[in-house]
Amino acid sequence: MSYIKFENIIKTFGKNEVLKNINLEIEKGQLVTLLGPSGCGKSTLLRCLSGLESVTSGHIYLDGKDVTDVNPKDRDIGMVFQQYSLFPNMTVEQNVAFGLKLKRMPKEQILTKVGEMLEIVGMSDKRDCYPSQLSGGQQQRAALARAIVMEPKVLLLDEPLSAIDALLRHSLQVEIKRIQKELGITAIFVTHDQDEAMVMSDMIHLMYQGKIEQSASPADLYTKPASKFAASFIGHYNVLSSEQFLELTGEEIPCENIAVRPELIRLTDKKTDDPDCYHMQGTVAVSLPHGNFIRYGILCGGIQIDVDILFTDISPIPTGSCLHLSIKKEECVLL
Amino acid sequence: MWAFSLSYFLLVPEKKNMKKEKYMYLLALLPFLLVAFLYEIVPLIMIIVNSFQPDSGGGFTLENYQTVFTQLLYQKAIRNSIKISLISSIAGILVAFIGAKAVYHGSGRLNTIFMTLLNVVSNFAGVPLAFAYMILLGNAGFIVHLGQSIGWDALAGYNLYTSNGMAMIYVYFQVPLATLLLIPAFRGVHRQWKEANTLLGGTNGIFWRKIGIPVLMPSILGTFSVLFSNALAAYATVYALMMNNISLLPVQIAGSYVGEVKTKPGLGGALSVTMMFIMVIMILITNGISRRFQKGRA
Amino acid sequence: MQKKNIWNTAVIVLIMLYLLVPLIVSVIYSLFEKWTDVLPEHFSLGSYMSIFADPAFRSSIVRTIVMCIIPIIITTIIVLLALFVTTAFFPRLEKYVQIICMIPYTIQGVILSVSILQRYVGSKSFLSNRLVMLTGAYCIIILPYIFQGIRNGMRAVNMSMLLEAAEMLGASKLYAFFRVVVPNIISAVVVSSLLAVGIIFGDYVLVRNLAGTSFQNMQIYLYQTMKSDSVKASAVFVVIMLVTCIIAGVVLTLQNRGKKPDKS
Repeated sequence: MSYIKFENIIKTFGKNEVLKNINLEIEKGQLVTLLGPSGCGKSTLLRCLSGLESVTSGHIYLDGKDVTDVNPKDRDIGMVFQQYSLFPNMTVEQNVAFGLKLKRMPKEQILTKVGEMLEIVGMSDKRDCYPSQLSGGQQQRAALARAIVMEPKVLLLDEPLSAIDALLRHSLQVEIKRIQKELGITAIFVTHDQDEAMVMSDMIHLMYQGKIEQSASPADLYTKPASKFAASFIGHYNVLSSEQFLELTGEEIPCENIAVRPELIRLTDKKTDDPDCYHMQGTVAVSLPHGNFIRYGILCGGIQIDVDILFTDISPIPTGSCLHLSIKKEECVLL
Repeated sequence: MWAFSLSYFLLVPEKKNMKKEKYMYLLALLPFLLVAFLYEIVPLIMIIVNSFQPDSGGGFTLENYQTVFTQLLYQKAIRNSIKISLISSIAGILVAFIGAKAVYHGSGRLNTIFMTLLNVVSNFAGVPLAFAYMILLGNAGFIVHLGQSIGWDALAGYNLYTSNGMAMIYVYFQVPLATLLLIPAFRGVHRQWKEANTLLGGTNGIFWRKIGIPVLMPSILGTFSVLFSNALAAYATVYALMMNNISLLPVQIAGSYVGEVKTKPGLGGALSVTMMFIMVIMILITNGISRRFQKGRA
Repeated sequence: MQKKNIWNTAVIVLIMLYLLVPLIVSVIYSLFEKWTDVLPEHFSLGSYMSIFADPAFRSSIVRTIVMCIIPIIITTIIVLLALFVTTAFFPRLEKYVQIICMIPYTIQGVILSVSILQRYVGSKSFLSNRLVMLTGAYCIIILPYIFQGIRNGMRAVNMSMLLEAAEMLGASKLYAFFRVVVPNIISAVVVSSLLAVGIIFGDYVLVRNLAGTSFQNMQIYLYQTMKSDSVKASAVFVVIMLVTCIIAGVVLTLQNRGKKPDKS
């Protein structure tokens, strides 16, 4: 049996069904991500595991034990919240020691454990600071230390980096991942940011409208989306219906939708006759520089198709140019 | 089997405990409810019930209300109370509007000093206020002397001890309260609107007439209803100067319970209910008008 | 632009003068023996010496202080407990607690005092004790201010998240509340208590209607001396105003101090 198991979880708020029969298993020592747009139920699922929210029906197992009706404080679960969850009247050290004191751990032992933990998260020099004297990133490091010093069976991270600016967020993602691997913690991370999910996770569970849409490794999720929603949420896929596709390429496909990633489309001046490719014609409507690539919006018979081209020193294609698009058949995802 | 029954005993009662524990905490609400019931809810219900009972004994009657609305003394009290509350609230709002607008445009130390003074003076009411005005405008007051010596009759002959003379004191305690309530509202008038108005060719006057005051109107009306209730219920200041020799609702209410040889709880109840009724009506009216100004805002 | 600034300054200065004149005149009045013409005569601190020499005045101070402290402690505790229960367990009940807390704001002193008097004056139990009635009435009259202050404090520290965080670390909700939430809203509690002190301190209605003039607190003392000796009364007035100023000053500094750390 897996380490954490959600079994037929249903959660309703009044008439609103937020979790619709969720079944999910998580292995020990992994960092898995619940990814999805806001309101998809990912935070609710996390809070059900923590016990801060009770489930309407279904069972939750942690380490072989049914914890569905156990009090949150008795579940051995650590949690890092979005922001401002540090106790503002206590220093960093006192915050981290809080749970250990409640466990009635001897004083010296608390002191050494807290010291070690602050070392791990790189906050040793801030131990006597109050939360209001810390930056957002430092606050979240301290909150992380406070949760893992308890050696929880599982660590829950509820969008802990969403309020932190982009540059710092990237370094914290790497750091959290490092600490998690180093200590071998089982962790569940909730985010709405697919890049963040890609960087951090061993496994991503994509959620949409209270259901698990797809469970896969980051690479698989990116290259093999299983649904239209997954394709449009991950990797900015172009999704075309079979009728649209027939109109543009004159070729039939054996399913409802076809999805193509923008970086896999080739642009050429003249039509090529490669039989392994689908072909279509279009005019450049917009070009938006995105840093290391340029995203061209190309109008093909009234439908806009996005194409990403790496930013090289070749001058960008002017809008209004008529171009030929070719897509390798094997690189298309049929949905 | 053994493991099963053990887990049954360990887990099932736990679920019940979680729920039970939650309801146990309701006990912590009890002290609050006890105090609120003893000294707020029960007395208030009693006073309403009393107002429908004859002072001679049990039974149901409307005679108390009949007395309130037909006897000249009480009619006059209601009229005077409404009049003085309206006048002092309007005057208070006008001064406060000008003051809050000056704070909105100004900045720096003067604003801070002004705000501090407002906070201090807003606590200044009741007997001390009455006393200060007695020294200032009473029969031998400073300003009356001043008026006599410079020959200004309006000041020399000022009579504080009438309901019109009393209005002066009401305005005084309304001004700081109203200003404190309006200053935050002015922060909602964004400076960009003013700049846009200027760029579009609007004058200062047009800005306040067409944009500023309509935006502020809900706050102004809200403040007005607070001031009105405040004036309607004001008692200490009046009593300190006039004792029971003035016809105002709060004075009549207190008079029917305290200091008389025989208390008249029925009549007092009816007067109290009337006063609360007037307050509620005023709140409903200001809310109603306010809603008209809130179009386009969530 | 220049003209406008002068206008604004003039408006503020004028309103300040209007508000200050009664205070200043009363202070001057208390410092002179005679003021029957435009200018006062014979500077003297006699009025202050006589009130502080009067045992009745000194005991009125003690009465006022005691009648401030007890109701504030009671109300603060019951509101803290009530808001703890509603925020942590029954969020839907908060609406009703709020309504109960806001009613005194609209009915105010006169109706509250006569209704309590009418209800308990004939009671055979300790509830008919005048001071018990007065304490109850004070608890109710300060309810709106204490409630608002504490609730705003709880909102500012995001109480539910702090409770959850403490609970995940193994604390019970009650422990978390008193150990984590209360220390963080202590300044809000102090500010609202001081506002309540200001209200009870300035009260005359409740004490006169419920306790009667024989229970001489500072307001009653002022009222009675005002009828007999106005110079002496002006000294009492100045003492009362000084205390009020100090309370308001402390409240303002606490509120401003509370604002600063948020910005950093």
